[in-house]
Amino acid sequence: MAYSDKVIEHYENPRNVGTLDKNDDAVGTGLVGAPACGDVMRLQIKVSDEGVIEDAKFKTFGCGSAIASSSLATEWLKGKNIDEAETIKNSMIAEELNLPPVKIHCSVLAEDAIKSAIADYRRKRAEKKALQGG
Amino acid sequence: MALDPFALLGIPPRFDLDIEATERRFRELSRVVHPDRFAGAGAHERRQALGRSIDLNDAWRKLRDPISRAEALLRAQGVEVSEASQPRASQALLLDFMELREQLAETRASRDVAAARLLAAEVQGREGAVLRRLSEGFTRLAEASPAERGPLAASLLEGVGELRYVRRFLDEVRAIEED
Repeated sequence: MAYSDKVIEHYENPRNVGTLDKNDDAVGTGLVGAPACGDVMRLQIKVSDEGVIEDAKFKTFGCGSAIASSSLATEWLKGKNIDEAETIKNSMIAEELNLPPVKIHCSVLAEDAIKSAIADYRRKRAEKKALQGG
Repeated sequence: MALDPFALLGIPPRFDLDIEATERRFRELSRVVHPDRFAGAGAHERRQALGRSIDLNDAWRKLRDPISRAEALLRAQGVEVSEASQPRASQALLLDFMELREQLAETRASRDVAAARLLAAEVQGREGAVLRRLSEGFTRLAEASPAERGPLAASLLEGVGELRYVRRFLDEVRAIEED
């Protein structure tokens, strides 16, 4: 199966590969897996007090499409506020990367990772607020 | 498509399979429909024999692999097996495999095949534990009451899911060894 140029481009030059401190209150971590193939993807966001995503990192062990999907996701996330970020859909990723039908699940994985990272960030924030009695 | 591979080879459905005996059975049945035997037969018979031969190959391929064997058993028990029915892996499992994959990537970067094999041994130990869990689970499923079946099937699907992460990891180790 041929990968699209955009997938190859992200695969060869992945953006934002790395790790953020998962214990930082401002960092949300999403860790997801593809049950059908056993690939794993971690996506992290660092959110400012104003709710803007200042940084995003990912680490994906998987096929080219999974790497490209998460790489693109981190590019899109940076600079967005978290409410906007939540509107990113797998179909947008799939369309941008011209993913073939058999690789759509890679974009689903990336959307899952974004949602989990945001949920993790929100949960941490709510806990912090509760601790502060606010 | 989804012919029951156990029925095709005419063996009782079970997870703990005598692999050698199953292979012997497969070879015996395949010999009967071997194309050489049908060289002088009519087109219809030849096609039938070929079809049967393909089905037998497919059944053997499914049965010798624990993941597809488990799936065949679940299907035979009326459990839905599809990408949609596959439960999400627990965070604990994903954390483990993320860490294992990161460690494996390091061994690859440093071309340390011995360290990669050490990781593989750890994951194979884990695979053995999952296979034992599946084997016990399938024994219990056969005797389970209708109320017990749901949760039991769910935990079996979870075990099959874990095997996929295991397999993916071991495939990666093989790729490193071949490098």
